Amino acid sequence: MSVPTQTSGNWRRILGTLVVAVLLEQLPWAGWALAVRPDFVLVGVLFWTLHRPARIGFGVAFFLGLLADFQDGAVFGQHAIAYVIGVYLVLFLRLRLLQFDPLRQAAQLFPILLAVQLTVLLVGWLAVNPPAGLLMLLPVLSSSVLWYLIALLVRLLHGKGMQDRA
Amino acid sequence: MAMPGQLMFARGLSPAARLLIWLLVGVACVVVDARYQALDGLRSGFSLLMQPVREVMRAPFDVAAELGGFLTRHRLLQKERDALLTERAQLLVNVNAAQELNRENTELRALLQLQTRSGQQVVHAAQLYQGHNWFAQRITLDRGAGAGLRSGLPVVDSEGLVGQVNRVYPGSSEVTLVSDPDQLTPVFVERTGQRGLAAGSGHGQLELRYMPAQNDIRPGDRLLTSGIDRVYPAGIPVARVSRVSRSQSGPYLRVECQPLAGLDRARAVLILVAEPQVTAP
Repeated sequence: MSVPTQTSGNWRRILGTLVVAVLLEQLPWAGWALAVRPDFVLVGVLFWTLHRPARIGFGVAFFLGLLADFQDGAVFGQHAIAYVIGVYLVLFLRLRLLQFDPLRQAAQLFPILLAVQLTVLLVGWLAVNPPAGLLMLLPVLSSSVLWYLIALLVRLLHGKGMQDRA
Repeated sequence: MAMPGQLMFARGLSPAARLLIWLLVGVACVVVDARYQALDGLRSGFSLLMQPVREVMRAPFDVAAELGGFLTRHRLLQKERDALLTERAQLLVNVNAAQELNRENTELRALLQLQTRSGQQVVHAAQLYQGHNWFAQRITLDRGAGAGLRSGLPVVDSEGLVGQVNRVYPGSSEVTLVSDPDQLTPVFVERTGQRGLAAGSGHGQLELRYMPAQNDIRPGDRLLTSGIDRVYPAGIPVARVSRVSRSQSGPYLRVECQPLAGLDRARAVLILVAEPQVTAP
């Protein structure tokens, strides 16, 4: 139950992972790979919101949401609104989420990721067009799997410590 | 169990209040962008920021493709070369005939005192990035205003019409594909000459809208641009009719078409740059 020490290494790790997430999305994804691509940036933002809520929150999520809007050629604000709602849900359920092991945590994250994607769908529907099919719910599944893998990796690297140091 | 750390004694506003503020900002963004198109500056900024990153991220794939090409079998290359030579000979014959027709056409147009068509320039570009196609079907190309592109120009590949330049940034540009639900393309049926309007139907397909039920149209018919809108030159292949069905309710046929251009696989495209036509009053 120690308060995290304010080191610059902390910031470097957070920024590093978010930059990697953005870079991953800039790869020339196409076809099926694009359809099932997990939302790396969203998973990154929610992960750091869960573990470092003092550092990463609404502002960063909103900005990265605007970036996602730019990537998809969508209306500005569509992903930004959805990401902000995701951050709020994670903050709201934070104490609960931190108790679970990776698999259950990913299962708990699934409805949050689904809510984010449904917000994207709803805002797009109101502002632009009805969406072309429900294929857009595929990344929710892949993002949940990605969350599980990351949570597993973090646990392997830090033991159970990551939860306590948060 | 974990303690919420600093969050327990949150400085300033509560999460709910902050959520509300950011939601308002987000809604304002949507309205300003969708209604007034006032955020194009922000788009250009993102584009300037992301373009070098995307080119770097694309590089390994280009190298892999190069290597793949390098290792192609010699025999295959020879076969391809022979086929290309035959095709070239045939095309040369066609070119001669076309030149002759072109000369004749200019003379006739001069006789009739019609406006001469302006020559067409072509800009080569490659696909730089593709986003999700949930609401709009768009791709990003690696050429922009620097190469003389404007919004509204037609984009084609070797098979047919790809789409239309939608937004132009300094070093890249965004193309709306013909399969985008908001993209309308004036076409005519090659076999009958019947004019119509093709629109994207999502899912990477097109539909021919407002075709009266008594019309002669069959699966397999090709649709070409009609050139009526003065955006696309006439005669670019757009799509092939894949299914025709009579709807129970409306007076129109349901005509589904498959785009001819490789919308999701074409890497190299051409942008047709024509001088803007100034029509005298």
